[in-house]
Amino acid sequence: MSRNPEEPVFNRIEEVRTAMGLTRQDLADKVGVHYQTIGYLEREEYSPSLVLALRISKSLNQEVSALFSLLPFKKGK
Amino acid sequence: MSKKNKIYWLEGVTEKGVKSLLNDENSKFSWLRRQRNRRILVVFMAMGIMITALGSYYSGLKEELRLDGSAEIVWLTVVVLFILFAVLVGYSLLRIAVRGIADAPTELLDERQVRVRDTSYRYAYQISGYLLMGLLLLYFFGPEISIFSDTANDGSYLLIATLFAYASLPSMVLAWRERDI
Repeated sequence: MSRNPEEPVFNRIEEVRTAMGLTRQDLADKVGVHYQTIGYLEREEYSPSLVLALRISKSLNQEVSALFSLLPFKKGK
Repeated sequence: MSKKNKIYWLEGVTEKGVKSLLNDENSKFSWLRRQRNRRILVVFMAMGIMITALGSYYSGLKEELRLDGSAEIVWLTVVVLFILFAVLVGYSLLRIAVRGIADAPTELLDERQVRVRDTSYRYAYQISGYLLMGLLLLYFFGPEISIFSDTANDGSYLLIATLFAYASLPSMVLAWRERDI
């Protein structure tokens, strides 16, 4: 459960990251955050800033809208 | 490649020291970062600080326990010094357990860590306010108890306890609240 009172931001980071064969540490190094932060993002317990969302999207070769959403992603999409 | 180890005077840390704590270079302490162990450490620290603060009433305690023999006084002094040492060790372990986030400068943290650090300071500020209120209540209502009387009060331990509490509270809040560190 998120302690963050803000609106949750859903994402597909884990799905895309594992498909690319990256570890949390690999992605963390690419975007310049701690690997625990990637864990928090993947569990949707932390909503990233726009800058971080853009950096993650770039590192995973995805559009921001394909990676982040205010509505839950449908499975397999 | 030689890289200068930047010193952050305000935070009292060095760049290498912070980076070493943030990364898993101290992997032998990874067991300490589990939330349950962190919470045990917080309880230990809170108890240690409280006992240290009670050391302020040490001279009153001597009278209360009727310790007039020098051997007993030496024994009690050794106990107080041991507790002080234990709190100091606890403080060092606490910093390792929370990766030193509470003391780290903003430029060495990522955005989530900055938020977590700042939130811990907000809670620590509120808690210290309540503690101060508790001390004031003790000051006003304490004299009813003989060991809290003014003549028995030696403020040095209370100052040490305040210093420990001031230095540890943000890390204690962080250690208690965060699931993963």
